[in-house]
Amino acid sequence: MKLSLIRTYSCNIFPIFHKPKTQSLSLCARSRRPICSSSLKPKIPLFLRPSNYSATLSDLKKWHDWAKTLSSSIGSSFFDSDNGPDSSLLFRELNWLIEDSLEDHSLIPQLGIQDNSTNVRLRVDIDELYSLWKQRIEERKPFQYIVGCEHWRDLVLSVEEGVFIPRPETELLIDSVSDVVSNNEELRQGLWVDLGTGSGAIAIGIGRILESRGRVIAIDLNPLAASVAAFNVQRYGLQDVIEVRQGSWFEPLKDIEIEEKLSGVISNPPYIPSDDIPGLQAEVRTHEPRLALDGGLDGMDDLRYLCNRTASLLKPGGFFAFETNGEKQCKFLVDYLENDNAGSFCNLKIVSDFAYPVEVVTEQTIN
Amino acid sequence: MSSFWLKRSRSSSSLLLQNPRTKTRTVESSQFLNFIDSNQNHTVLPSGLSSFLFKALKNSSGSDFNRSKTCFFGSQYQQFFPRNSKGGFSFFGTQAATEPSTADGLTVEGIVANRWTILDESDSDWKSHAAAIAQSIQVIKRRLQWKKLMVRLNLLSVELNKPDLWDDPVHAGRISREHGSLMGKMKEVKAFEQELLEHIDMIKLAREENDTELESESLEALVTMRRISNEKELEALLSGEQDPCPCYIEVQAGAGGTESMDWAAMVMEMYKSWAQRRGYGVTVVDEMPGEMAGIKRATIKVVGEYAFGYAKSEVGVHRLVRISPFDSGKRRHTSFAAVAVIPIMGDGSTRVQINESDLRIERYRAGGPGGQHANTTESAVRIVHIPTGVTATCQNERSQHQNKASAMAVLQSRLDQLEMTRQAQMNAQHTQSLTEISWGNQIRTYVLHPYRMVKDLRTNYEVSDPDSVLEGDLDGFILSYLSASLDKDENIEDHQSAQSQSLIREEEEIPESFMASTITNSTITTATVLREEEIQSLNNSSIQADVSSNEVVEGNPRKWQPFRRRHILDGYSTEAVADVSSGGEDDIRDTNKFLE
Repeated sequence: MKLSLIRTYSCNIFPIFHKPKTQSLSLCARSRRPICSSSLKPKIPLFLRPSNYSATLSDLKKWHDWAKTLSSSIGSSFFDSDNGPDSSLLFRELNWLIEDSLEDHSLIPQLGIQDNSTNVRLRVDIDELYSLWKQRIEERKPFQYIVGCEHWRDLVLSVEEGVFIPRPETELLIDSVSDVVSNNEELRQGLWVDLGTGSGAIAIGIGRILESRGRVIAIDLNPLAASVAAFNVQRYGLQDVIEVRQGSWFEPLKDIEIEEKLSGVISNPPYIPSDDIPGLQAEVRTHEPRLALDGGLDGMDDLRYLCNRTASLLKPGGFFAFETNGEKQCKFLVDYLENDNAGSFCNLKIVSDFAYPVEVVTEQTIN
Repeated sequence: MSSFWLKRSRSSSSLLLQNPRTKTRTVESSQFLNFIDSNQNHTVLPSGLSSFLFKALKNSSGSDFNRSKTCFFGSQYQQFFPRNSKGGFSFFGTQAATEPSTADGLTVEGIVANRWTILDESDSDWKSHAAAIAQSIQVIKRRLQWKKLMVRLNLLSVELNKPDLWDDPVHAGRISREHGSLMGKMKEVKAFEQELLEHIDMIKLAREENDTELESESLEALVTMRRISNEKELEALLSGEQDPCPCYIEVQAGAGGTESMDWAAMVMEMYKSWAQRRGYGVTVVDEMPGEMAGIKRATIKVVGEYAFGYAKSEVGVHRLVRISPFDSGKRRHTSFAAVAVIPIMGDGSTRVQINESDLRIERYRAGGPGGQHANTTESAVRIVHIPTGVTATCQNERSQHQNKASAMAVLQSRLDQLEMTRQAQMNAQHTQSLTEISWGNQIRTYVLHPYRMVKDLRTNYEVSDPDSVLEGDLDGFILSYLSASLDKDENIEDHQSAQSQSLIREEEEIPESFMASTITNSTITTATVLREEEIQSLNNSSIQADVSSNEVVEGNPRKWQPFRRRHILDGYSTEAVADVSSGGEDDIRDTNKFLE
């Protein structure tokens, strides 16, 4: 179970927030800090690669049949062992792999025809396709790393091994932001921070909602993630809205005067208790970066740190939302914020993702 | 245009001069039609007048015609319209009076009535061509539901002339769009008719003048028209408002476990290949696979010109008879799959406003913790519209957001359809959703054993090669159904009665065979109801029966939906339906033969 925690100040006095005009805050000044070092060039997702290869339809069909057989041999064994994918999900992924590899999608229906010697243009060598699907099944490599992208909200984000794959649940964080800024122009024009941005999903989601009126800084400790995030930002043409910085949590913001200046802080920090890591689904455990998952003994190390810092950085009326491990962590955080930062927050809300009945806890604290 | 009408009606009035009453009527009619014409040009005229005129005209022409029929047209026309009954001539009278005709008074009706022999296209006999084209024109008119079209056009014209029309721009837009489209159809046919008559005039003229060049030119033109007329006949089959729309096709398996889920998957495959053959785009929106094979339910989206127009003929229950590959006893099974078709209406149409707060959005996911714990590409979304209970599911998109958008689109179309059905109960046949389709509403039987045949129970159209049909060769069935359903409608004046007639006809043809075959040895019949628990209990009972003997009787048939006829029309009594059809008896005989 996963819940997000959303919290807003409810001070009645809103200091007028001026969008900083200083060079240090100008997000267009990307020259000051290189977004990504040249050594970390992100991989191009499969669907964006040129169609440099070709194969006959019957060869492709042979591969497809092989891959289908391999997938159906899995049955529900992955699912039973660690909640991994079952055959029917693998079949769907296989179709998506074909979609991403094949230039001309209209040929897909012809895959059923025997002995079709029509040549098709592929974005990947057919031998590579064999090896990719083997990695998917035998190494349990996440499908998103196989095709180099994840479809998330209405975005297609580049991802690669070493970068956390954005989850469908996190799409809800963006909905929360959308709700908040829809009737608050001040927030829309403010400065937002996405901490631990990974592929840049949250930052890009927010960036599109702000409609170039506000600014977002996306931060990740992992240099590879920062470079992938920058790539994705560029692909959506949001360079002028989103700046990607590499570093730990708020550390890369040292050069900016941000005390009580941030309009919003959004994060999907690591929240899995360290002891739970070995029991995770193979795709996650063996392929995704532990940095993005392990939240310490109770999984709340980073959440606690973020809450503490956020309290002093958010401007009055600001908004923050963090993804958590579920109800328990949420409740704990709510208690923590009420007791340790009493009076500084109100409207604490627990928003459950819609896999489960929605449960909202609204806390009104008195200033 | 007006002048044309005047001219034409004059020429026919000269023909009809023998009957003075008829003449008066002719003048009235031409006025009336001129009136429509001017309405079409959106001249402002006092509203209500045209409808009054029309009423008056209809009455007078109706009574007049009965007289004129006997005194002037004679028995020829009675022969031509033998099936018309109870005042069915009323509109025809108007038409006859204002019908475009050649210089010597030959009309399209006249040409058909002359019964000129229709020869091959290669024969250069103008009468044969003319007869073929005239016949096509009549078919086209019938398919466009000509009488209804004229009435509707008139109503729309009245509506268009209301000064306050544009107070409601959405409504006004719809009215003017529909008016434009009907007008276009009407003008096209009229022009075609006119062209035919002009060519005939030319040929006659050429003969008088011995101008062979002109004659062969006009003859050539007739041949071209003859070819075009065939295409027009086809086009006219799809003249419904929603026919050009894309659509969703949904297939749901009946009870009977794997065998019927496999059948549902076969039906879905059939539609996928049919759509691909037609060059339509096909995307799977939702698919719920069966445990062992096949599908419990699936929805595809079919995008292309007239996708709904064609696919709507497939609504109903499809029945399969074969030796089940899933039965180790190699017994013959009968399974059912229900098909629903939902039009996806364009933005132009009125759409149901969905209130966010009326929705419950659920995400399908395997158990266990999600978020960072799980890596999955599974992001299915289910949306429930709480007030109506209508649901939509999508799982085939690659992100939750898109699945949600897709499911919303399906939900929107379902609610639109619901609203459409509510507004126009008479269209119920084509607008039923899966849950509404009675399992008794069988439309087609696919027999793979003991003989091979696919037969449409509505049209009796049949094909002896089930494989080609299952590979998507459905156009024969579709076209025969479309033409049959339109062609029979037109003969019945009252729309309501037309509907009930067609329903009776369909329901008469429900083969009771599956009712009968439930008590036939070693035939497993898996008749169905939609509610999950009932399916479950049926399945259970079938399993028990399987164990005990070869004779499988699943529960009490009276309890099941299939045998309960739907009350689609008020005052239409279910008892009126004939009980056992001959088709059913045949089937039992076949079964017995097979058993021997």
